[in-house]
Amino acid sequence: MLHKCMFSGSGGQGSALMAKMVCLGAIKENLKVVMTQTYGIEQRGGDSTAYVIVSDEPIGSPIVENDADIAVALSQSIYGNCFAGVVPDGMLFTNSSMVDNPKESDAFKQVFLPVSDTAVQLGTVRCANMVMLGAVLAGTGLLKLETVEEVVRETIGNKKPQLVELNIEALRSGYSAMKKES
Amino acid sequence: MAQETLFLKNTEAFAESLARCGVKYHFAYPITPATDVMKRMAVILPAYGGEMMQMESELAVSSALAGAACTGKLVATSSSGPGLTLMHEAIGFMCAAELPCLLVDSMRVGPGDGDILGAQSDYYVATRGGAHGDYHTIVLAPSSGQEIADIVPTGIKLAYTYRTPVLFVIDGVSAQTTESTTLPAYHDYSAEFDTAGWAFTGTQDHPKRALITGSYSHQDGYDLNEKLRAKYATIREKEQLWEQEQTEDAEIVVVAFGIHGRMCRDLVAKMRAEGKKVGFIRPISLWPFPELAFAGLPDSVKNILVVEMNHGQMVDDVRLAVNGRIPVHFLGKTGGDMPMNTLAEMIAEANRILGE
Amino acid sequence: MENLSAKYGKTLNLDKLTSYCPGCGHGIVTRLVAEAIESLGIMSRTISIVGIGCGGFSHHYMDIDAIEATHGRSPSFAIGYKLARPDNIVFTYAGDGDTCAIGLGDLMHAANKGMPITTIMVNNTVFGMTGGQMSPTTLEGQVTTTTTKGRAVPHQGYPLLVPEMMRAMPGVKYLARESVATPKDVRKAKKSIRKAFECQVKGLGYAFVEVIVPCPTGLKMNVKDSYARCGNEMTDYFKPQVFKDETEQSDVA
Ligand SMILES: Cc1ncc(C[n+]2csc(CCOP(=O)(O)OP(=O)(O)O)c2C)c(N)n1
Ligand code: SF4
Ligand SMILES: [Mg+2]
Repeated sequence: MLHKCMFSGSGGQGSALMAKMVCLGAIKENLKVVMTQTYGIEQRGGDSTAYVIVSDEPIGSPIVENDADIAVALSQSIYGNCFAGVVPDGMLFTNSSMVDNPKESDAFKQVFLPVSDTAVQLGTVRCANMVMLGAVLAGTGLLKLETVEEVVRETIGNKKPQLVELNIEALRSGYSAMKKES
Repeated sequence: MAQETLFLKNTEAFAESLARCGVKYHFAYPITPATDVMKRMAVILPAYGGEMMQMESELAVSSALAGAACTGKLVATSSSGPGLTLMHEAIGFMCAAELPCLLVDSMRVGPGDGDILGAQSDYYVATRGGAHGDYHTIVLAPSSGQEIADIVPTGIKLAYTYRTPVLFVIDGVSAQTTESTTLPAYHDYSAEFDTAGWAFTGTQDHPKRALITGSYSHQDGYDLNEKLRAKYATIREKEQLWEQEQTEDAEIVVVAFGIHGRMCRDLVAKMRAEGKKVGFIRPISLWPFPELAFAGLPDSVKNILVVEMNHGQMVDDVRLAVNGRIPVHFLGKTGGDMPMNTLAEMIAEANRILGE
Repeated sequence: MENLSAKYGKTLNLDKLTSYCPGCGHGIVTRLVAEAIESLGIMSRTISIVGIGCGGFSHHYMDIDAIEATHGRSPSFAIGYKLARPDNIVFTYAGDGDTCAIGLGDLMHAANKGMPITTIMVNNTVFGMTGGQMSPTTLEGQVTTTTTKGRAVPHQGYPLLVPEMMRAMPGVKYLARESVATPKDVRKAKKSIRKAFECQVKGLGYAFVEVIVPCPTGLKMNVKDSYARCGNEMTDYFKPQVFKDETEQSDVA
């Protein structure tokens, strides 16, 4: 098993936190995981991308070079970049609340979910990243939902226990929305 | 501390591995991309009964390191290129004085103050040494968090077996990479070595000892150098470390250390899938350079491609190792937004050479 | 936007809009230095030798020749430069880490040589550029990324008082500590910095000004609190004063 992922968003959308949750979850499932920082253009401005590689074997190149099989675009400004970074047969998850005029792709599958709107309905737009993460888990089987819930309890529970349930609800709603979709 | 798997920046993996393997005193001065080592050391060392001492410069760091090493205790430092440059006075001294210690160089783009992005541009200064005299520093180049954890004990054993400084080098990109690393349970590897025969601990249990690197007579200078010559010859013979894969029938062998070495695994997998006969050698000890890996290459190997995050430094050692037997090509880059060649570029270059 | 370059004269060049963080004390000190150069009419023969640290950006805001020295060595670079071109006005500009951690030895010997050189040390009690580690001037108990429980005097020592160390050196002709905590302090600092350049123009000897400034980013404080700290805790310990002023001596050059 080998997954190369890119999690992209604009300032404050929490794409880096999504990536970190995946990394910590992967360790819980006894997988190897590597995360690298962004290089190049995306470093500028408020956009950021966290690259994560998850595998059940020692990981070779730690760099994701336009060969992600799982990509997440939380905002308009990084959508194009994500679109260009996905391999044939990969999956691009797009936040349709924020991205207008998406492109068409025959080579890879695109999933559009209004995760910002869902998050607002749940109480705060800030948990859009968790809604999306739930969808990614459902759509790709990257990690088990329960594993990530455990990570949420441990990491968020440490600092802001009052936010644990909200984030778990967000994860679950993304997960079930994606299950319905497919 | 028990064994555990953590999600750590590789700078932090260094700190954790050093502390868990017995380092008591760590001396350092801030510099990107090495500062995270000292920051974590400052937090964790007290629990091991040790301390991170921030010094006022790398010159002072390395001198304090030498002073502490005289006691026989396991001591370490961490820095990056400009800092390593300043440490060479003490590194040369410690080689002459036969003092064990550990150094970490998280390499950035040089020369001058350079750029804080990662590079492999300290290969020369690490393996050739920046101080005067006939000396060598053992240089180890781990390529991942796990390898850091696995190789620190080796470094300690080498430092104490041969009573000499051991320098770990890692490119700043790998240093800033965060990954899952299984850290060992606490074990002080230096405790396996008896330092009572040489450490400077006061004359309560031994007759006067004096650490002198200057010669009182010309014969002294000769004797010290002959002793070091013999020691370095043993290290060269016995301590070469490398990883090698699929070279048995290879037509081209890619040679790289650190992050590019790690990328070679993917390179070989991808190119073999296309029926290309490719293998790789990843030097782990940069000094002693793994010449044995090259001596054993089969006649099928028609070309060697060296890839580095610099403008060609290790390539010299590869050329010396093959001594004209096999043509050696080079691909390298330093600086820029993406301060290294990509896997795609490495594969393209290997294919170009194969097609020639 | 208001054309500040027109207001401050030719030396200050704000085209390269500042890479300092909002509220950074370097911004004020950089402007004061440019004003001093401007008012003395020495722009075209002035050379800035900057250290490594956020103050290293300072020369980008002045249309004068500049040399970025190696970390801590700007005083020695200045000695070499002044020897080779004595008619140029040479000043060093660096932070507390550059000046009095790694560069303390070079600094003290440059001061003791007494050659007409001007040094501006911008003390924000932290290594700003590398992300807020302890510096020699970090206050007792101050939390930094390398003193997470606060600077502890045993082992980590006392905050270094640099001009106090130079006071007895006869070659030092102008010696002051200033701050930028309030507009009034800035006016005083402006005077001292000008005098430190005048001292060199007159060929009198070495001149040194330490300026106490905030680094909101390194201290993880908002701008307002960082200025309050500058006017209170920082200046309680680093007391602004003119230690020595021999600039009224006759011109020896
Ligand atoms: C030889 C060497 N060691 C370390 C560094 C890393 N470094 C860059 S700036 C700096 C400290 C800056 O602190 P300070 O002088 O107080 O300036 P500030 O940014 O606070 O204004 C350090 C340690 C370097 N560039 N060269
Ligand atoms: S880090 Fe501090 S010294 Fe550097 S620019 Fe920002 S506020 Fe100024
Ligand atoms: Mg400072």
